[in-house]
Amino acid sequence: MKEFRIDQETKGAIQVVRLTGSLDMYSFPRLETQLNTNLQQGHHAILLDCKDLDYIGSAGLGALIGFAKKAREKGGDIKLVNVPERIYKIIELLGFTKVLQVHNDEAAALASFTAH
Amino acid sequence: MDKPDNVELTASTSKLSIHTPGHGSYLNYIRTLVGDLARKVGFPEDDVAKVEMSVDEACSNVVKHAYAPKKAWLWQHRHPEIRLDMQVVDNKVIIEIHDHGQKFDFAAYRPDAIQDRLKDMQTNGYGISIMREFMDEVTYSSCDSTGNTLRLVKYLKKT
Repeated sequence: MKEFRIDQETKGAIQVVRLTGSLDMYSFPRLETQLNTNLQQGHHAILLDCKDLDYIGSAGLGALIGFAKKAREKGGDIKLVNVPERIYKIIELLGFTKVLQVHNDEAAALASFTAH
Repeated sequence: MDKPDNVELTASTSKLSIHTPGHGSYLNYIRTLVGDLARKVGFPEDDVAKVEMSVDEACSNVVKHAYAPKKAWLWQHRHPEIRLDMQVVDNKVIIEIHDHGQKFDFAAYRPDAIQDRLKDMQTNGYGISIMREFMDEVTYSSCDSTGNTLRLVKYLKKT
C-alpha cells in the first residue's frame, strides 16, 4: 500500500504532476489543493502522470473534471498519461475518457498541448 | 498488509469481517482486503476492480454523507464506524456495509445517468450510479435498532 504522494515538475508551459498511491475521497483534497494552486499561479496546462497510481475513485475523478472545467476556460487543460491498464479499463467503461484526454506516451501528451 | 490501529478483522478463505472507525483514512485498507478476497475466490481481475470500486464508493458515502457533522445519526452517542461483512455463497459474493449515521432514502434516489453527468462536467454524485453499474444487486435498508446496511452482490460468472 503506497503512501499517496504528489510530485511536480515544470516542462515549458506545462506542469507535470506525478501521482503515487491511491486517489480516493481521503486523498483527493490534497490533489485538488495542488491543482488550484497551479491555477492561481497561472499554470493552466497540467499533465497528470498516473504511472504509480494504484487506484482512483469517483472523488478523484470529480476533482480532475473540476480542474479541467476551470483550466479550459483559461485555454488550458488537464490530460492523463501512463494510466495503468486496470484503471484505464474502469474509467473508460464509465465514460470518463470522453471528458478527460488520456495519452500513452509523455512526449506525445506534452506535444498535444501545443498542437491546436 | 499491516492491520491499522483501531481495526477489528476476522478473515477466512471465503469470509471477511472488518470493523473500522468511520474515517476516510481506512478506505484503502478496506478495499484492498475486499479485492484480495474477491481475487482469491475466483473473480477475474476486471471484476475485482469493479467490486473494489463499488465498496470504496459505498464506504466513501458513509464517511462523507451518513456521518456528516450535524446530521441526525441513528445512534448519535457512538463514534462513527463502518462494519463490512463479505461472504461467498454458492456462485456469488455478498458484501454488507453497516453504519449508524444518517439514514438515506435510497429507493427514491435516482441520480442522472453517469453519461449525462459527464456531459455537464459534474464533479460529484457518481458513487451510487457506479455501484449500480458494477454490481449485480445493490439494496439498502435502515432500522433504528440495527443501523443502516448497504448490500452489494456480484455473481461469479463461469468462463
